[in-house]
Amino acid sequence: MDYREYLEIGYKSITQHKLRSFLTMLGVIFGVGAVIAMMSIAGGAQKAALEQIKLLGTNNIRVKQVELTGEQRDEAEFRGSMGLSLRDVNLIPQVVPGVEAVAPIKIFDVEIRHQDLKAPGRVVGTSTQYDEVVNFYPEEGRFISDLDVLEAKKVCILGVDIAKELFKLNNPIGEKVKIEENWYTVVGVMQTKAIRKDKSTVIEVRNMNRDVYIPISTMFNRLLSFEMYDNMNELAVRINNQDLVIPAAKILERMLLRTHKGIRDFEIVIPRQLLAQAQRTQQIFNVVMGAIAAISLLVGGIGIMNIMLATVTERIKEIGIRRAIGATERDIMLQFLNETVFISVSGGIIGIFMGALMAEVITRYAEWDTVISGIAIVSAFGISVLVGVVFGMYPAQKAARMDPIQALRSE
Amino acid sequence: MSHATNRECLIEAVGLERTYYRGETPVKALRGVDIQIEKGEFMAIMGPSGSGKSTMMNLLGCLDKPTAGQYRFDGVEINKLDDMELSRFRNRRVGFIFQSFNLINQLTVMENVELPLMYAGITREERRERARKLLDNVKLSHRLDHFPNELSGGENQRVAAARALVVNPDIILADEPTGNLDTKTGEEIMNLIAGLHEQGVTIVLVTHDVWVANWAERIIQMKDGKILQEFREKITADMLQL
Ligand SMILES: Nc1ncnc2c1ncn2[C@@H]1O[C@H](COP(=O)(O)OP(=O)(O)OP(=O)(O)O)[C@@H](O)[C@H]1O
Ligand SMILES: [Mg+2]
Repeated sequence: MDYREYLEIGYKSITQHKLRSFLTMLGVIFGVGAVIAMMSIAGGAQKAALEQIKLLGTNNIRVKQVELTGEQRDEAEFRGSMGLSLRDVNLIPQVVPGVEAVAPIKIFDVEIRHQDLKAPGRVVGTSTQYDEVVNFYPEEGRFISDLDVLEAKKVCILGVDIAKELFKLNNPIGEKVKIEENWYTVVGVMQTKAIRKDKSTVIEVRNMNRDVYIPISTMFNRLLSFEMYDNMNELAVRINNQDLVIPAAKILERMLLRTHKGIRDFEIVIPRQLLAQAQRTQQIFNVVMGAIAAISLLVGGIGIMNIMLATVTERIKEIGIRRAIGATERDIMLQFLNETVFISVSGGIIGIFMGALMAEVITRYAEWDTVISGIAIVSAFGISVLVGVVFGMYPAQKAARMDPIQALRSE
Repeated sequence: MSHATNRECLIEAVGLERTYYRGETPVKALRGVDIQIEKGEFMAIMGPSGSGKSTMMNLLGCLDKPTAGQYRFDGVEINKLDDMELSRFRNRRVGFIFQSFNLINQLTVMENVELPLMYAGITREERRERARKLLDNVKLSHRLDHFPNELSGGENQRVAAARALVVNPDIILADEPTGNLDTKTGEEIMNLIAGLHEQGVTIVLVTHDVWVANWAERIIQMKDGKILQEFREKITADMLQL
């Protein structure tokens, strides 16, 4: 007997008892639904975390300036630490192995003006290599050049939001914008950077679409008063090899401690490691959801087994007849096993849709990202087959081992 | 109906015993039966209720194994077969007809007749064709898609006969095939069975009815799990020792 025949028998038996079959499936429906919902939430969180980290750059090390308390500041001044400085920027490529580029980042919140339009923005003073380091390039025009930095030119590159607000549909390149007291020529407009605004963010990332980039030298010369001397908000360091990121970070830390005279006025952030952290948090959630799924699958499986045992008893006569006309024990066993798998897989398929629906509702109302992956669907399917086989085995064996004569005599 | 003397032997049983257990108590349903059935023979089994007729039929049809004794079917030692081989034997070589028809109510007439062929691993197309042909032979072409509970007793028994015959078995085992039928439909079924006998099919039939038994070439009477006497001529009720 080929498998199609068993499938047909399974299908018939289910369609003959629609309501009963549906009730039998409920446990599996909820179990598989929970599996799918869980995996899609986990997948969404993972994706969100990954995107966030990509925004920072996976091959990057960020060095952030740390605000010191009064006492610490006195100590730093006494020892002569200058905070994150241009000296560090120049020293890093010489000391730390595998460094591709270093970009200083100095941030200054300010209003940008063009004609009578104003836009609240953020001036970022940086160097030529910034675009490469953070993997974020101008869409139009160019980025800061070496000459711009050398001569402290009054040029700027606008973030796409700022460009839109100030210039609407006009081309801003070649136009001038006013930052504080000075006019700057726009030489480029950056790409749009997708920024996520939902709650599931792992790392805070500023909205780079509101940035205005100017040469770091220009920033020091024109924009800042003397007491805001040359320490940076952040250094972005790009490493040329993924595997070197962690060792490079260690060397970088040692180097900075030395140049900062042992003062910890900086913090090293490795996006890669943040991802691992995010995954650990996710695991707790997975365990809880997994337990719920496992329990409902267990209950569902037992429910199926129960109904199948009743079905076997109810159909003793049929079993006897089939045996009399030539069905082997194996035929009977496969028939009932197949029927159970048919029920659990049908439940599984409904469960997949229900899980997808749950994920959709979660995305809508909780604003969590959810991703339903092929793996989730395949494993949900696999699980429902497994439930059918595991819990169908006993009733099927019971049916197969039945004495054909007793079965025929029963009424 | 000729006396069969030089036909090949199909069934040979020596000292057949079958003991059932009701809990601890043994119930001896058969207590040493010796019997030979030749190919093409038509034999009837009579005997009071509980004398072991159905038990005997189950053994003859390879649905059950004897607790003692030897049973050869067409030269094959049945005791030595495993479930797979035994089932194959039932499937290809034996056709059962029961008093209560034993059709599967969830399947149509057509599907019921196809079922043995399905277990024989025959393709759908061939199954259809053969089932249709047999249902045509028993004049049920117009009932193919009906369910058993929509048919009369006589019609159901004809479906059962078609199912038994569809695999071209060596032997038809009919356990009180007319028991649930009125005289007229009973006669219809007996005509059908006699027709099969004429085509050379071996037939063993259990009945309580002398009139039915007299269709056979040979009649054996059982009592308390043994063969009491055997007739090779027409009998009357008073010839049976009750
Ligand atoms: N599966 C079984 N378990 C226990 N005892 C059984 C079983 N089958 C039959 N018996 C017993 O074996 C004896 C013979 O039964 P069997 O069914 O062969 O009789 P029978 O001649 O066919 O009777 P009837 O004419 O009523 O059909 C009876 O006493 C019956 O109760
Ligand atoms: Mg009987």
